[in-house]
Order: sequence, then C-alpha cells, then structure tokens
Amino acid sequence: MISQLLKSKLCWRAFRCRSEVMRLYHRGLMSVIAQDISQTQLIALDLEMTGLDPNHDQILSIGLIPIENNLLMLDKAEQKLIKVEGGVGQSAAIHGILDNHLEDAIEIDQAIAWFVEKTQGKVLVAHHAPLDITFLQNAMTNTMGEPVKLLAIDTLAVERKRLLRKHDVLKEGSLRLGACRTRYGLPVYAAHNALVDALACGELLLAQIAAIGQGESLTVAELLAIK
Amino acid sequence: MDASELQPISQFIKAQAPFDTLKAAALERCCKSLTVGYYSKASAIVPLDETHPQLYIVRSGAFEVRDDGGELVDRLGEGDYFGFLSLLSGEKVSNRVQILEDGLVYHLDPDTFNYLRSENRHFDRFFNRAFAKRLRHQGRFKAKDLATTSRVNTLMSKHPVVIDSHSTVGEAAQKMRLARVSSVLIIDNHQLVGILTDRDLRNRVLAEGLDGHLPVHQAMTTRPKTLTSSSLVFEAMLLMSEHSIHHLPIVDEEIPIGILTSTDILRGQSSQPLLLIGEIERQHTVESLISVSKQIPLLLQNLISADARAEEIGRVLTSVTDALTRRLIVLNQQLLGEAPMAFCWLAFGSQGRQDQAACSDQDNGLLLAYEPDETASAYFDALSKSVCAGLDSCGYVYCPGDIMAQNPLWRLTLKQWQHKFETWVNTPEPKALMHASIFFDMRSVYGPSSLFDSLQDTVLANTKGNDIFLAGMAGNALTESPPLGFFKKFVLERDGREVKGIDLKHKGNALINDIARVYALSAGIKEVNTAKRIRQLMDLNIINRKDALNLADAHEFIAHMRLSNQGYQDKHSQEITNYLKPQHLSSLVRHQLRDAFKVVHDAQSGIKLKFTRSF
Repeated sequence: MISQLLKSKLCWRAFRCRSEVMRLYHRGLMSVIAQDISQTQLIALDLEMTGLDPNHDQILSIGLIPIENNLLMLDKAEQKLIKVEGGVGQSAAIHGILDNHLEDAIEIDQAIAWFVEKTQGKVLVAHHAPLDITFLQNAMTNTMGEPVKLLAIDTLAVERKRLLRKHDVLKEGSLRLGACRTRYGLPVYAAHNALVDALACGELLLAQIAAIGQGESLTVAELLAIK
Repeated sequence: MDASELQPISQFIKAQAPFDTLKAAALERCCKSLTVGYYSKASAIVPLDETHPQLYIVRSGAFEVRDDGGELVDRLGEGDYFGFLSLLSGEKVSNRVQILEDGLVYHLDPDTFNYLRSENRHFDRFFNRAFAKRLRHQGRFKAKDLATTSRVNTLMSKHPVVIDSHSTVGEAAQKMRLARVSSVLIIDNHQLVGILTDRDLRNRVLAEGLDGHLPVHQAMTTRPKTLTSSSLVFEAMLLMSEHSIHHLPIVDEEIPIGILTSTDILRGQSSQPLLLIGEIERQHTVESLISVSKQIPLLLQNLISADARAEEIGRVLTSVTDALTRRLIVLNQQLLGEAPMAFCWLAFGSQGRQDQAACSDQDNGLLLAYEPDETASAYFDALSKSVCAGLDSCGYVYCPGDIMAQNPLWRLTLKQWQHKFETWVNTPEPKALMHASIFFDMRSVYGPSSLFDSLQDTVLANTKGNDIFLAGMAGNALTESPPLGFFKKFVLERDGREVKGIDLKHKGNALINDIARVYALSAGIKEVNTAKRIRQLMDLNIINRKDALNLADAHEFIAHMRLSNQGYQDKHSQEITNYLKPQHLSSLVRHQLRDAFKVVHDAQSGIKLKFTRSF
C-alpha cells in the first residue's frame, strides 16, 4: 500500500521533470521502493552547513557512505568540500572547516552532479533528514533550474517512532545522533565531520533495522514512510 | 577517503594487536577496505559465508564461538577476532558464531588480510599463533611498560655528597672521608657546576704543592659529563671509557640525584648468582651472612633486566636460598657443636619446587634419622630456631602457617614423617590435603641423601595409583579457577587496598603447580620442580606432547609476567605483590595472557576428567 503510494509519487515526479538526469534519478528509485531493506542499496548521508537556515546558509561538505547487503562499504565512502560565497564565519566553531580548508573545494554545481551520480538508484539515509534534504533540494533546484524533491529515510524519525511506541517520554536531546547510538550500544564517536556523521548514521540504521526487523522483512517504503 | 576522515575507525583499529604494529600506509589501506556490519541477538548466529571468508573484528557486543559439537571454543568481546581459521586454512570451518549481545563488527576481506600478513611479520605471526593456539612465545614478548633493561638508576648511589664551590678542598676532603666516598659534587644555586674526585685532590692539589685552603672551584673538574637516571648502564660504561673517567653525576632535569662510579658498575656485575653463592660460602658469621643476603633483591632485579627465563630465575634464586640455608646450618653447628645424629633439612613449597621469587616466606622442616633423646631434642630445637631466625633476617620471613623446622610439629623422625604422609594419603580430608600440597613439593637441602630417599620412596609408593587420594588432590586443584571471565575478559579481584588486579600466583602458577603435582604423584615421579615434572610427564606419555608444551609455556609465561611485574613494582617503589594491573599491558600481551589462562583452564578440565570421575 505505502509502496504503491510512493511509487506513484516518484512516477509523477519523473513525469514532471524537464531534466533528463532527474527523470532517470526518480525512475531509478521506483524499482527499489518495494524491495526488502536488506537487499536494497542505501546510502548514508551527512552535510555540514554554514548554518541551519536552508534559505540563507550554504552546504560546506557532503559525506556519503553506501550500504550494500546491510554492510557499510568504507572503500566507497567519499566526501566533498564545497566552495561557499563569503566566508565560513561563526559556523567554523561547529564543523571545524575553516576557509583555508576549502582551497581544494569544488563548486556547488559540480558537487550536485557528483551527488546525483553517486546516489543514483540508492535510497538516501540521514539523521534528521528534512534539514539535510532541504539544503540539497534548494541547491539542486538552483542548479537544475526546476524544483526538485528527494526521498530519504530519517533515522531520527525511526527512533522517535520506536520510542513513542514504547511509551517513552521523549526527553530533550534523546533523539540526537549520539543519544540514539548509545541506546543500541554503538561506540561513541568524538569527531564531527560529514563522513564520520554519515558513518554514525549508517550504523544507527543497521542497528534500527536489526531491532525492528526481528527476522521479518522490512521494505524500503515502510522506512521511508516514517516521518 | 583517507584514514584521517574516518578517525573513529582508524583509531580503534590502530589500538588493536596486531594492527598496532602496522605502518601508517598499511593501516590506512586496511581501514579503507573494511565493511561494517551489525549483528542482532534476534538473528542468533552470524551468517558466515563459506565462499567468502573474512576476518571479523568485534567492535562492540558479545559473541560465542562453538564447534560443530556445540562445545564452547571461545567467547569474544570488543577487540577480539573470528573467521581467521578459514582465512588461514582456506578450508570450510564448522564453527558457529553465536550472538550474545547486539554488536558492530568490522569485516576485513581476504586480499587485504593477506597483504597485511605479507607486509608485516608480527601481523602474520599473531594470527598464525592464534591459529595454532600454541604459546611458544617465551622470552620473546615484553610488555611495553614493564621494559626493564638495566638502567643506571639501579646501580647509582642516591643522595650524592655535595659542597658549594667556595668551600675549601680541605672541607671537601673531610666530607668525602666522613661519607667514605671518592668524589663530591659541587653545587651552586642547586645547579651542578663541577665534580671533585680523589684523583683531583692528588693531581691538582697535593702534587702542585697546594694546601687544603684552596677553594674547591680551583681544583674541581668543571661541567663534568653527566647522564640521566634512565640511561642504560651500557651507555655509562661507554662514556666512562671514552673519557677515561670513573665518576658520573646522574642529573634529572638539571638536579643532581645520584652518582655512578666504575665500582658501582663492577658491583652490579658481581651480583651474579655464582659470585653471590661463593660469597655466601665464604662468610664466617651469621651477621656477615645477613649483610651478604641484602644483594638478593639486586640479583633478582638483574636477572629480570637480563630477560632471563622465569624458570631459570626461580632456580637461581632457590639455589641462593639453599646455599644460604646450608651455610646457616653449618655456622650454627659450629656454635652448637656436632649434631647428635644424621638429619636432613627439608625445604617445602616454593623452595622445594625451586620457583622462589621476591618476598618468599619459609617452608621447611627437619627429618631425623631416629628418635632423639632429651639432649638431642634440645640440640635440634636450638639449631632449627637459630637457622629459621637467620633466614628471617636474610629476608625470608617466618611462615605464617608455622610450617618451619623450629616448630616441633615439623621436626620428625623418618618413621614419624612416613606415618604423617601415610595419614594424609589414606584419609584425604580437604583441609589435610590443602596442607599436604605444600609438603608434597619436598626437597632435601642439607643432609644425607639416603635418609631423604627413604622418606620420598615410601611417600611415592603410597600415592602412586591411589585413586581416592589423587581424586582429593585433584579436587583441591580445582577450587580456584583462572581469571577467565564472561567474555574472556579478565575477572578482576580486589587486593587489600581496593586496587584491581589479577592474582598471577594463586590464579595462575599455583594452579599449574597443583596440576603437575597431581600427575607426578599419580605416576610416582620424584621430581618436584613444576617445569621438570611436566617434561617427565610428557616423556612418560602421561600428558600428551601438545598439552604438556602448552602447560609448560603457560607456566613460564605467567611466571614471567609475575616477575616482570614485581620488577616494575620494585622499580617504582611499590609494594611487591602478585597482582597485575591489566591496564599496564599492551594489547598483544593481554591476548597472550588470556590464552595462557585458557590453557590452565583446559588443564584443570583434564585432571577433573582423569582423577575425579565427575563431569
């Protein structure tokens, strides 16, 4: 049921697209939606931004780690630094990326082309996905010259649902990536960069799948539907 | 990506043995090639793909390896590995890996694994050794923190004699005479500015026709060569011979803390066992014997620094104890007169087994040829009391359980001893057995061997093949278990001061001693040294070769750990104990120690099966 809905959504998006690349992109996902999560190619994602406002702030870096057969593939992990207009400013305190780190950074257009290529046919996974996705959609809309919508599994939403189902009271900070990981006995990662956070998010998803699945099959669509 | 981008992974891998021996480039290649998986308890077992063997590195969680019969092979936690059996052999392995607790696991593919093996000898050896489950690493390992190659601070005289540069050479000479030293350090404003030696007084003062009013700074050697306390003795010798000097001030952070002379170095070398034993035999009074015995701790330190095998150290230290005991008996006999009858001085426990270490206490007794009359009784009473007191003054403290020759209970005739052993063997009550385990490691240190042989022969005739007694002894050896805790992590105990540590003696070596003793008594083997007992048991085919070698290796390894730990404690002026703090160990040594305890555990199951008939 959910997968039918998502499929038609993707179909509509592909139909509305003017860009050939994005049409292929949406079509690529249609066949994946109904699949069992463990057989699907996923890709864990994290962004570093100059701030939290998608309308004003810019993407600084994108980290991607593919998940195949329920395994995070470190040899295919990649991250790109992106040139920004103006300076990094105050945000440097959070992500540690300084202006001089961005010397070998690429233009946002190049980054988007790379992103589309790498994630083609793969389901995005992010922690607190709406934020990262909005940033990406905005950047893609600018590059492509037409509105773009993306789908992503949100590990934060998955966690919130699991906690609420257990009638837990959600405490301040209990849905942060680190707090979620602790619940599954995952190690504490200190450093913050897009790639490490993508790794942390990918591992969390594997743990969540193991916890939800309990041996039963779980489809991509079911996870995508959790908002 | 490069390794710095996935720091949490590279940092973890880098801290694991044998990955900690990899070069940066190999490590980066390794981290890059990993895949990360998550195994949930709900799926019960880790699906091992036989067509695609991998090295599995446990990052979190808990796992159990069981063979096809369901027998537990290994328990794994963070930092442990599985899957290397099929990687190395290329064969299908029937082991199953059960998931006890959800966990994150890194997988290393065969290509990278083989590359790392070819690239790094240690890496290859680590997994081959794990594969062979064998422990032939005696003497090769060394815990990083416990490294104790001979350093100058073990030989130097602390608290050097000092004087300021405006004093006269006469005052300096008086200070040197008072302290009976051949040099004085010149200190101005807490800084070392020079050194004045006997030779300077001769060459620069007397031979020049000057007198004692000369200020020190005109006769001293300014800015002398110095070393720090952590320099090697070897470096000191080199420096001395290069500059033909005999005195080296030892300076730490610009503060003089000691002085090392060529005599000190000579003395350090003369604390070799043979010289020490020779010296013991040359002493003519108990007092001088006691002062010679002060060198024993230094001897132990030197043996540890020289990386001698623990078994050798035990034998050497015991031969010194034996020599000291014999000399004490002879000297006291000179005072008390000839003994009224033949007798043997018996050594039990660690001295009997020849595995003494630091802080050994006395375990001894007297074997008399026949029933003593009143005078003879008084004679042996006096003799044993002074010998035990002498041993106590030499650093072998009185036995807390009072198993000593000075206790009339343990001063028995051949007949009485035979009867005593017979009672222990025939009515093996738990408490008597515990007692007996000390007595069965018995050696004669002094006296006619024929007398001792008559005792030992009857004892062994009684024990050999005596099922009930052996079952009791075996049960006794099973009351303690080696510290193999749940996930094969160490079960920590607390010693008196609430500090965690592993009791290497009682949870390790003592158990191996017990095991070897049970087998030796069952076979009527006269030998009491544990290593030699095991060797004979192997030669007689009582224990199979592999198990015997494993047990001997584990014994050596744990004993070595205990000694180096005591060397470390001594060096850091801590109390000498049998407790080891695992956090001092490198990851490799920790693995090896766990394996050694595993061997002890297996050997315990062995005697349980063989002697106690219970499962």
